[in-house]
Amino acid sequence: MAVQDPQFPLPLSRRGFLAGASLLPLAGLVPGVTAAARAAAPDAPYLFFTKHQAAVLDAATRRLVPGPDDDPAEAGHPGAHEAGVVRYLDAMLAIFDANPPKIFAGGPWSNRHTTGPNHLTTFVTPDAAQAYSWKQRIAQLRKDYTAGVKLLDSEAGGDFTTLSTSDQDKVLASSALGEFTALLFGHTIEGMYSIPEYGGNAGLVGWKEIGYPGDIQPRGYTAAELAEQQIDVIDPIGITGQVLAAFPHVAAAIVTRGQRHVG
Amino acid sequence: MSARKAVIAGSGAGASVTAMVLAEAGWHVVILEKGRSYFSDLAGSWPPTTTFSNDELKAARSFENPDPIAYPRTFRSSDAQTDGYYVGSVNELPVTVGGGTVHYGAAVPRFWDIDFKQLSMLGPQPGADVTDWPFTYADLAPYYDEIEALIGVQGDIHQMPATPTLAHAPRSKQFPMLSGPQQRASALCADGARSLGLHPYPFPQAINSRPYNGRPTCNNCGFCDKYGCVIGARGSALDPLRRALLTGRVELRPETMVTGVERQGTKATGLHWVTTDGRRGTETGDVLVLAASAIESARLALLSGLPNRSGRIGQRLMFHYFTDGFGIFLDERVHAYRNRGSETQCMEDFNDPDFPGAREFAQLQGLPYIRGGLCEMGGSQGVITEGQFYQFILSALQPQQPFGRSFKELMRSSILRDRLVGIQVMGHDLPYRSNNVTLDPKVRDFHGIPVPRITWAPGQHEQVAQEFYLPHITAVLKAAGATVTATVPANSDQIPVLGAIPDTKHVLGGMQMGVSEKDSVTDAFGRMHGTDNVYVADGGVFASSGGQNPTLTIMAVALRIARHLAGTSAPAAAAARSTAPHDTLPATGGRPLLPLTALAATAAGLAAHRAT
Repeated sequence: MAVQDPQFPLPLSRRGFLAGASLLPLAGLVPGVTAAARAAAPDAPYLFFTKHQAAVLDAATRRLVPGPDDDPAEAGHPGAHEAGVVRYLDAMLAIFDANPPKIFAGGPWSNRHTTGPNHLTTFVTPDAAQAYSWKQRIAQLRKDYTAGVKLLDSEAGGDFTTLSTSDQDKVLASSALGEFTALLFGHTIEGMYSIPEYGGNAGLVGWKEIGYPGDIQPRGYTAAELAEQQIDVIDPIGITGQVLAAFPHVAAAIVTRGQRHVG
Repeated sequence: MSARKAVIAGSGAGASVTAMVLAEAGWHVVILEKGRSYFSDLAGSWPPTTTFSNDELKAARSFENPDPIAYPRTFRSSDAQTDGYYVGSVNELPVTVGGGTVHYGAAVPRFWDIDFKQLSMLGPQPGADVTDWPFTYADLAPYYDEIEALIGVQGDIHQMPATPTLAHAPRSKQFPMLSGPQQRASALCADGARSLGLHPYPFPQAINSRPYNGRPTCNNCGFCDKYGCVIGARGSALDPLRRALLTGRVELRPETMVTGVERQGTKATGLHWVTTDGRRGTETGDVLVLAASAIESARLALLSGLPNRSGRIGQRLMFHYFTDGFGIFLDERVHAYRNRGSETQCMEDFNDPDFPGAREFAQLQGLPYIRGGLCEMGGSQGVITEGQFYQFILSALQPQQPFGRSFKELMRSSILRDRLVGIQVMGHDLPYRSNNVTLDPKVRDFHGIPVPRITWAPGQHEQVAQEFYLPHITAVLKAAGATVTATVPANSDQIPVLGAIPDTKHVLGGMQMGVSEKDSVTDAFGRMHGTDNVYVADGGVFASSGGQNPTLTIMAVALRIARHLAGTSAPAAAAARSTAPHDTLPATGGRPLLPLTALAATAAGLAAHRAT
């Protein structure tokens, strides 16, 4: 809801994405993608979604966080589809199908950067207060997603998946969909960048794409890695330039956004 | 010593120290903790194993925090607001064995002499309820020494400035451990600050820079502040809890929430409790200790109708009034995700009422003095949080298509994470009676118990201090080399933080210590006026908020209270329980991104939004 009154300057024309950004610091730490690490096979059954709901959400999340097949500017850059975001959404909405429910992944570490068992796959059983809260939360989210997909279809005149990508963008950005698009985008970001044990970030493509090692215990970082000067010059162009130009307002808006959240 | 019995509400910073002292003095102690434990038996193998992990989503899903659906609070910025106010998370602290210390950034600076004698040394402030504590910095200093040894604190007295830090908080000895390695973002800030004539120094942290107390050296994993330590490198309430449990006289009961104090006249007889799965009962004892954190202890006192002659139970609630500076580096990735505590450098110049120009600025605004607070220098934020900021920013910058390749480009350039350096000023928050905890007349938690209603707003002092220090924060960021900077609020005629849902995690006051029952809630040793045997041993007893992270002071004050209860007022020589070698090794410490308050608040807002 916040900041619909853009006093933001919008100075720079859009350009292609940033040149020269070397995105692989600690390259050895950023896990590679292997076929075996990919998420569930595309035709595996969904726990909550119908095939059609999954198809609509796949189409929608491809627009929110596009990959190589969705936007020519994203060649070589995996997006929501490659990360298995719909699988993440499905797992979230079916959180109570498993025992224990898949609300809280376990600990203490995955051994992704070391060798040994992955302790994160053993989920933590919620206590009565946590179960009480999450049952309500998931029941509401199931309603939101069911209604959201219906709305995408109806705004598309029947089937959202049949629209052109530019028309899909228009529907997603329309005021009719605003609230659901925001909900879906927020969860899509979780599905891109959370630990993969929650069902998304398949093959760690979300982290790899941005040069982020993710969970690092029990390895941690050395004193040298802590202090390292990692030169990586970028130009203030494209959307990055726009955000920078508006930065004081952005910073203020961030705070405003935080406080405006009144339930 | 006759075997007496204490029942303690809470298991965090204050509760753990109280339990340790009483149990080691021969008392029987029952600890009732509302939350669950995420650790193996604290009296067993050490450090304990844990189900905490490097998992941003789990933290956002309220793994250790009270879920706002089961345990909501309500918030308003003025008592004129009688309806329609916020219901959700309000400055919540973890509900789990160990309390807030399971995921604090372990920043443990000391308060200053002027914090304990603020009225005597600095004078009154218009509209505020400024007062002295019933003891001095010098009185508390030995307890600080003892707590630093107990939980294991790294720091370096030789790198601390004579003024203002050591002048206001003199130390009798070096830290138990020397400071560990410095992270890039913090070092840049410190260099910048030094070039301006300011006085940064390595942040005192309860994080091992060498093996200490049977726990290993920190490895700088970066999932520290707001995350449970998975290797046991962080000093916390678990250290005193272990010592308490090892006496064999302590029973620690998780998932047991205290709901009230049973009392006949001035004598309390027990604490009522309810378990998370709904069983109820009463635990009787000779001494009852409220240490459930400031807001919850005030809530318990109000729920129980405890004597309130001063009318101040729940009042003078203090949160700190954070100001955030953001610096962006276009020429390098400062990778603050590799960190320890969040940031490894701090600076206290802005906490000084005599900082150059501060008194003159204050007087122009009709105030006798202003104080900012300690600066935490060099933090950033998590990757999911970063993504959700871009989502929000794009909705404002390009509403016609607030997603797509622009989002991907921002994630790759990472100006709000990998290139971000945050400076956070912990604004000294004066005590106002109008900032308080009351019982919400309508909203109840999932046990059916009225929830705390928080009424809080910054006063004139806080706003003037913020306005004065904004340009100084910007100057430090520029001197650090940031290409682009911004401070919040962006301009002084608009203070957008007014009305924000407080999320500073520094929760103090409401059960204020003092000398007279006319104007304080507890006495100099934490006993509630008008009761024989109800004590408070958490941040609630603070008479002022200082300008520093409060956990060390909470523990030191609890130690003083517990020693008094146990009949040993002078601090005993700390029992040297460390199994660690005493040679000083260079540390490789580690921890996660320090949350900028504003960013954290926004993240919380987003999470709550998704939850509704």
